[in-house]
Amino acid sequence: MSNYVILNNTDHRDLKVITELGEAYGSNVMHAMTFPMEFRDVQSCYPILFCKDPESGQFYPTALFGFEKNQNLFLNEDGWDATYIPMMIKRHPFLIGFQADPDKGEDAKKPVVSIDMDNPRISETEGESVFTDSGDNSGYLKDSMARLEAIHRGHEHNKLFIEALLKNELLQSFTLEITLNNGSNNQLLGFYTIDEEKLHKLKAEALALLHTKGFLQAIYMIMASFSRIRPMIDKKNALLP
Amino acid sequence: MKEQKITRLVIVGGGTAGWLAAGIIAAEHFVDSKINLSEHSFELTLIESPDIATIGVGEGTWPSMRSTLQKMGISETEFIRECDASFKQGTLFKGWKTGQDDVYSHPFTIPHAYAETNLAPHWQSFRDEVTFSEAVSPQTALMFKGLAPKQISTPEFAFNVNYGYHLDAGKFAEFLRRHCVKNLGVKHVRANVIGVISAENGDIESVTTDVCGDIQADLFIDCSGSRALLLGEHYGVSISPKSDILFNDTALASQVPYTEDNDAIESSTLSAAQSAGWIWDIGLPSRRGIGHVYSSSHNSEERATEELLAYIGSTVSPQAADTATIRKLNFTPGHRSKFWYKNCVAIGMAAGFIEPLEASALVLVELSAAMIADQLPANRNVMDIVARRFNEKFLYRWDRIIDFLKLHYVLSERRDTAYWRDNCDLSTIPESLSEKLGVWRHQSPWHRDAVHVDDMFPSASFQYVLYGMGFVTQQNPIGSRTDREAAKVAMKLFEENGKIAQRLVGILPSNRELIDKINTFGFQKI
Repeated sequence: MSNYVILNNTDHRDLKVITELGEAYGSNVMHAMTFPMEFRDVQSCYPILFCKDPESGQFYPTALFGFEKNQNLFLNEDGWDATYIPMMIKRHPFLIGFQADPDKGEDAKKPVVSIDMDNPRISETEGESVFTDSGDNSGYLKDSMARLEAIHRGHEHNKLFIEALLKNELLQSFTLEITLNNGSNNQLLGFYTIDEEKLHKLKAEALALLHTKGFLQAIYMIMASFSRIRPMIDKKNALLP
Repeated sequence: MKEQKITRLVIVGGGTAGWLAAGIIAAEHFVDSKINLSEHSFELTLIESPDIATIGVGEGTWPSMRSTLQKMGISETEFIRECDASFKQGTLFKGWKTGQDDVYSHPFTIPHAYAETNLAPHWQSFRDEVTFSEAVSPQTALMFKGLAPKQISTPEFAFNVNYGYHLDAGKFAEFLRRHCVKNLGVKHVRANVIGVISAENGDIESVTTDVCGDIQADLFIDCSGSRALLLGEHYGVSISPKSDILFNDTALASQVPYTEDNDAIESSTLSAAQSAGWIWDIGLPSRRGIGHVYSSSHNSEERATEELLAYIGSTVSPQAADTATIRKLNFTPGHRSKFWYKNCVAIGMAAGFIEPLEASALVLVELSAAMIADQLPANRNVMDIVARRFNEKFLYRWDRIIDFLKLHYVLSERRDTAYWRDNCDLSTIPESLSEKLGVWRHQSPWHRDAVHVDDMFPSASFQYVLYGMGFVTQQNPIGSRTDREAAKVAMKLFEENGKIAQRLVGILPSNRELIDKINTFGFQKI
């Protein structure tokens, strides 16, 4: 369970955060939400699919790391073996929240950073300092906060991206059948992808609209990311006894 | 005779039946509203009286309503939000067997592995340990817990377990009207029909209205309610009463608010047997619809009202009983002796009405409109053939509904009032039903019982009611080797069903939770 509290430089002055990635730190996830702004990097390492939030039924783009729950094929003894780590993985143990900001107006909200005190990354002896000796934000915290803000913008961006995809009926459900070297058949269920046939039939105006919003590039990056499925199957085969 | 083409349709009456029929027919024939209407080969006009309030029959639907809405191009999210709709997974019958605290379920989901295996004979040996519907269907557990039939991540119209709806009939008619006029090209005329002009061959040539003149058509669909303006009043086609079989002829209806805004919404129609009838209890998101349908020759209005208020008092609150307003409706249980005559066909209450014990009103509208849409005669010459087929089909369907409703009564062990005793009097039971009961004493209903493609109720429904009511089918003793094999398979299926039920109970939200999520997020189309 998580235990998020608002970060401050008195209670958390001596806090350090272990930034390694591994099973011990909960990095053994099958997939994680991703955002168009990082698609270029993500697609060079992982397939990008869509799935639904079970609590709301809303779609979001997600980077795939494994073929079953709690399986991350990119993890090995040395950590996470890939040139790019998605923002939603690197954000831990921080979370961005919003508080009313009456100084700036009635509906104004200011971002606040929370930290999960039960996260195994939390330490007092090893890892990156969160605050400097003088109580200022450390370089690590500054980077983390920039990432959180990017994630926040990414959520908004995703919402618009999904809206545009649904409006043009560009999502379709997707089942991946994988036959491994040992002959076993595996099915990846519950994911969605771009309907390429519908995309090719889109009228010029619709395409232009997607292009002006930057979504067309995102769509093609998702399609390109499919070439990352094969290397994942190879990794899976390599793990077979 | 000239080959008069059928291109103009008029529906008289704008209740649920009228608009539902309009939507079904228009969806079949005016596929794209963006096409210039003048290019259509059909023209569909609905004449709605601005003066007559709609009755709003039927707040419960069958699962068939899902595909009906889908075909009309309706978004399930909008439908649920705008019609105050919730999910219905079947009916829970209370007090029908003994009049005490007995209860059984008739779920919409057919028994597990029904296509290959009939579990009913295998259940007989465990009948004292587990109810039939719980043993064979995961839905019963969900119904008793008031859980939803799906999750927010399930696409619209798809499900974990089969479902229909509970809805606000008044809101539903308005919702359909907006959809029909805006998206399906149906012409809406607000006027009172004050006369009928006949053609030489006895057809209706046009109907005269008070403010929009004469309106001509090739086919007139009478959705004017129990009055049956065209088929009844104009053509004099009378009702064949069925009150000798099904005695209920009066309904007392009320709408009761929840005590708290977030009170649970039942995901089944509740049907509670009374001294001379039964009480329906239908949970919508914003209120409950509770009513008492009874036989006026077995009960007084005063006593029936007392029973209804006692029910409201004990299941909602004494305050709710004190403030309830009750509307009385009289009806003749039965249907017209024919539904399609000349160029006029009746749908909805104009065709007939029977107590809503298995929510057959709206499904009959769906089936009638679908057949008209599907077999819309190309010209006047073939219309009489289509009419004859329509009449045969729907007379058969009405008979099957009557048989099935009567079944609920004849299985009762109640003898506490004349009503229940009279219901078991052999002279009130149709021969077609007695015959089936005779067979079922020795073999349980299964696919062999569905001899007719137009059967309204699947054999599974008969199983649920028969064994829910404690009916005993005398088995041939299990002895042969194949029987022992079959018994093993059955045990495995019972176990599977239990596991499915357990899993679903774990993942499904309550009916209320799902409705709240639909209001916030809506369903996805895929």
